[in-house]
Amino acid sequence: MSVLRAMEKTMTCSEFQESLPDLFEAHAEMAAQDHLRTCDNCAALVRDLEYIASQAKLLLPMHDPSPAVWDNIQQAIRSTPGGPPSSGHAQSGRK
Amino acid sequence: MNAGPTQPRPANQHMRRNPPIAGEEEAIEKARNGDARAFETLYAMHKRRVYSLCLRMLGNVAEAEDLTQEAFLQLYRKIGTFRGDSAFSTWLHRLAVNVVLMHLRRKGLPQVSLEETLEPSQDDGPRKDIGARDLTLSGSIDRVTLERAIENLPPGYRLVFVLHDVEGYEHNEIAEMLDCSIGNSKSQLHKARMKLRDLLHSGQRKEQIA
Repeated sequence: MSVLRAMEKTMTCSEFQESLPDLFEAHAEMAAQDHLRTCDNCAALVRDLEYIASQAKLLLPMHDPSPAVWDNIQQAIRSTPGGPPSSGHAQSGRK
Repeated sequence: MNAGPTQPRPANQHMRRNPPIAGEEEAIEKARNGDARAFETLYAMHKRRVYSLCLRMLGNVAEAEDLTQEAFLQLYRKIGTFRGDSAFSTWLHRLAVNVVLMHLRRKGLPQVSLEETLEPSQDDGPRKDIGARDLTLSGSIDRVTLERAIENLPPGYRLVFVLHDVEGYEHNEIAEMLDCSIGNSKSQLHKARMKLRDLLHSGQRKEQIA
């Protein structure tokens, strides 16, 4: 057994949790972490953190800006020196 | 900080989240050539994504709308510099991130928080008091609950969490954007997730009591 492996086995919860950012970043196989086999608290923590990260990836853009945002953009473009790219537009971008 | 978007290398997640949009390429070309209607089409295509990004990063509707406006005005001014090295939405997204970060730098708030949160505190230390059996989050958090918890993160945590876990930026990209070390970005992300866990568990406990 390697020294690293031996150290991992004797890790405290605090030491294991300090190593978590690097483990996550390295996409380490959590099920293979010896500490988790004997520590329910840390196992629950890892499950939760993995769950949070996975749920965050599923968040979609859900909100639209108010119509005033497009109105302000148009107004600002019109007042830009040199004028807008071209004149005239529809209101189809409005909610 | 450079307010203009760089041409980021297309990380897998960016590509996954930025599939081609029908009609986008034509609208870009027309907008580059001064077609106002095409620019409005681009706004309609991307306003939700840009605004949602601003809102998540800022947690404030009025500021998010102001910066959405600013992002699209920058797009209007810079669309001629888009070279197509990355997906347009990736490029626009990075432009919007830079607009938000410039705004936050001017305010000075999150950067302070980012450094402050480097110091370990009791709040962020390893937690051993949460039982594994009765308080597992898996399967119990809906989108609205998670969004609300993200809103309640301290600004420095929220920035890194949104950029990494929601938007899919890599730590090296975040470190460059926030002018911090990669290790700092990793540390902030971990603390943000830990804080979110606390917030979500607190919500669960309140629901159980109610």
